[in-house]
Amino acid sequence: MASSPSVSAARSASVGYRRHHAFRLIVLVILLAVLALLIVQPLGWIVFNSFHDDDTGQWTLRNYVQIFASTSRWVPLFNSLLLATAVAVISTLLGVPLAWLVARTDMPMRGFIHLLTMAAFVTPSFIGALGWILLAAPNSGWLNVGWRALSGADWPLLNIYSMIGTIFVCSIFTVPYTFTLVSSALEEMPVELEDAATTLGSGVVKTMFSVTIPLVMPAVLVGFILSFIQGMTLFGVPAFLLTPSGTLVVTTKLAEFYQLFPPALYMSAAYCMPLIAITGMLFYARRRILGRRQFTTVGGKGRAGRKIRLKGWRLPALAFALIVPITAVVLPYIAIVLVSLSRAWGLGPIPSNLTLHWYRWAIFENAETQRAIVNSLLYAGIAASFCMIIGILVAYIVERKLLRGAGLIAALVTIPIIIPGIVLSVGFFSAYTRQPLNLYGTATIIIAAFVATFLPIAYSQAGSILKGISPDLERAARSVGATEARTFASITAPLMRGGLVAGWLLVFIPIMRELSVAIFLVSPRTNVMTTLIYNYKDGGNYEAVCAASALLLFATLIVVLLARFVTEGAAYRRRNAASLGAAP
Amino acid sequence: MAAFSRRHVLMGGAASLAASALRISPVSAADDALYAAAKKEGALNLYWGSYEQKTIEEIRDAFKAKYPGIEVSLLRQASQTIFTRLRLEIQNDAVQCDSIGTTNLLHYKDLQKLGAIQPFKPTNIDMVPEAFRSIDPENTYHVGAISLTTINQSTSVNAPPTSWTALLDAPWANQITTGSPAFSGDVASWVVAIRKKYGDDFLRAFTKQKPKVGQSNVDTVTDILSGERKVGSAAPFSYSLTQQAAGNPIGVTVPSDDAILNLGLTAVPTKAPHPNAGKLFTDFLYSVEVSNILAKNFWPTLRTDVPWAEGRTLESIKWYRNPVDNLAAEVAEGIAKWKEIVG
Repeated sequence: MASSPSVSAARSASVGYRRHHAFRLIVLVILLAVLALLIVQPLGWIVFNSFHDDDTGQWTLRNYVQIFASTSRWVPLFNSLLLATAVAVISTLLGVPLAWLVARTDMPMRGFIHLLTMAAFVTPSFIGALGWILLAAPNSGWLNVGWRALSGADWPLLNIYSMIGTIFVCSIFTVPYTFTLVSSALEEMPVELEDAATTLGSGVVKTMFSVTIPLVMPAVLVGFILSFIQGMTLFGVPAFLLTPSGTLVVTTKLAEFYQLFPPALYMSAAYCMPLIAITGMLFYARRRILGRRQFTTVGGKGRAGRKIRLKGWRLPALAFALIVPITAVVLPYIAIVLVSLSRAWGLGPIPSNLTLHWYRWAIFENAETQRAIVNSLLYAGIAASFCMIIGILVAYIVERKLLRGAGLIAALVTIPIIIPGIVLSVGFFSAYTRQPLNLYGTATIIIAAFVATFLPIAYSQAGSILKGISPDLERAARSVGATEARTFASITAPLMRGGLVAGWLLVFIPIMRELSVAIFLVSPRTNVMTTLIYNYKDGGNYEAVCAASALLLFATLIVVLLARFVTEGAAYRRRNAASLGAAP
Repeated sequence: MAAFSRRHVLMGGAASLAASALRISPVSAADDALYAAAKKEGALNLYWGSYEQKTIEEIRDAFKAKYPGIEVSLLRQASQTIFTRLRLEIQNDAVQCDSIGTTNLLHYKDLQKLGAIQPFKPTNIDMVPEAFRSIDPENTYHVGAISLTTINQSTSVNAPPTSWTALLDAPWANQITTGSPAFSGDVASWVVAIRKKYGDDFLRAFTKQKPKVGQSNVDTVTDILSGERKVGSAAPFSYSLTQQAAGNPIGVTVPSDDAILNLGLTAVPTKAPHPNAGKLFTDFLYSVEVSNILAKNFWPTLRTDVPWAEGRTLESIKWYRNPVDNLAAEVAEGIAKWKEIVG
């Protein structure tokens, strides 16, 4: 190239420029078309529905007026705000240090804790709630029975049927969001910065709070927001744990709307609109907090895999790190597995009551469960992959400001996750059950709904990673003549890889455990595990519920382990390459 | 428990004997024509909320065995979900359902108003208990399931309450578990019935007993089996018996002041893609095969000539069914009063 005559160089540069712009245009048009189909159309239906009357089908503003006109309507909104804020705060307080301990220190049992925290993520929330009912119901909960036996007291130590109980259970099952986001950011961070602080005399804890955590702030904030949204949209836990005290939250109130005659679908749509405003404010706050600050942690230099030594703090750190694995996985799953191994769970774990019948039944005898396991894995895999592709493209456009109005696209892709699944499900039904795009009854409609619902996670994760990658590296590639696409493919994407696998899991797992969004979209052929498990729960067959849940956990954990194998393999190769590069 | 299964086998055998004695041929002449038409349609999409997964799967499998050549798909979800879905299908002109079966009469009143379900008379409807033979003068919907709401109790309770009013006695304070009428249609029926019988005073006294209110009436069984509470009010009769038969420490008491009977119903949508298959399935519901499956799973049977499990019959149980007129308003009022008084 350098030896070419200048005229031909200019011509080829101009062809390259046009080609580059044509490519950019095609990618943008396809992306916008996909977003319009996946998000604008279903959301449009939900907004459209919200302005209609459930009884007459006429245009009205009545739904909105009614939300604020009666206490019974706005109190659940208030309760949800309380629940979601508490869940976000607790999940962050537990999740961020946990991520740091696992990713950056020499705490013992890190792999085990990582795996169990992911297992907490896999568990559908209503299963977790069920486990905790067995553990901490005021009269019969095993922990309370043990407490009474030990202390002689006649009052329960724990009451899971309370707002505090609900916050606790929601939080421990939400921590994995923050944990995964922050630990993947920490793994991408160079240790030189921490070393610098230590050299200047800063202790481990001080370094963590003054250097490490501020650097992974984008991930922490996304974790906070996702936890908040989780607290807003969870149905299973409040349905089980708050109903006895008569406390309603948004999702249980929506369930009430759906029980009315005719079902108040349009009212429900209007009821979700305040949630969009609240989430909008959160994302706006995130932008303001992060502002113009720099979070570039991935520069041109390689990273060392060295861990921070905790010394005497190793055991206290381990005790802290075990909170989530024990409360969210070990204890509830002891209960769940015991029930799944019972002929009749009311008899308790006595030898004559033990059986493998429910596993045999689920794996070999029942065609519905077999099909649902395959469907769940397949749909979640495909949807998570699409989610990541779209999420990265949107994040790249937004972070690198490739398009005017990119902020609007960012806002758009973050909306679906805040809308409770049962309302989204109706939006997707309306959007995809009419010509020319009649996808009703197909796997495509379910995958599309999953992609749209969980796109915000993919986008947020991709955005956090991109914030950490210096544009200088991309500029370097561009300056030597690489196109935008080539730069992305050969520089940005490989640098993002580790984070992308974490992001893929962050989408894959919630899809595996998602229930509501599929509820009006599944057909007998496209049934998924969660809808089936909920049916067994509905019919009171808890032994089958627990066996199916244990299988769901097992299947998802295999995928988690495979993904870790892939990331660790990549990290190993990267380290090897770095050391080879460093050799003289 | 072995005695139970032997008894069932014997009972099933007895029912088949009775069937052959009555010369009920497996496929009637009318069914022959309908079967041919259904076979031509080739498929059947069932949307069912009545009966739990296991029972409805057994019914589906029996249908497939009896009528080969029809591809049967079963969508089993909660009744209200099934109903909402069919309504969405109707709104979007994308009806896939050939046979809907849910536990709530109001669903059918609504569908009837929309002209969304078609009139027809099942050929063997005469085998159904007389009280449930012609529930709709227009013949657009028919009985699909009989569901009873009773009291259930832990086997550790020696003298369970024998009536709804006995639940208000001192020993049952802090011991009762129940479902919520806002979430469960069966509990809503119970609230309407109990208010008709005893007025809101019952709800006030009931509240003083500090019942634990779950969502579904199935939760009563969960609370009893886990030991959280001892007695279930507005409890599911058939499901409690199934759990008892599985060996769980639970029993059922039919209250002397009436079990509350709630009819599950079924219909064929006007725009069903395979209407003949839908009608054939309705006919099949009233067959001996299905009633045997129901008896085996502790459901009340749909035929007078097939006894229920443990030899029970509709006549042997004192039951009450809410009057149909004005039911929608009474359900709404019942839920509102419950929220006001019980919480």
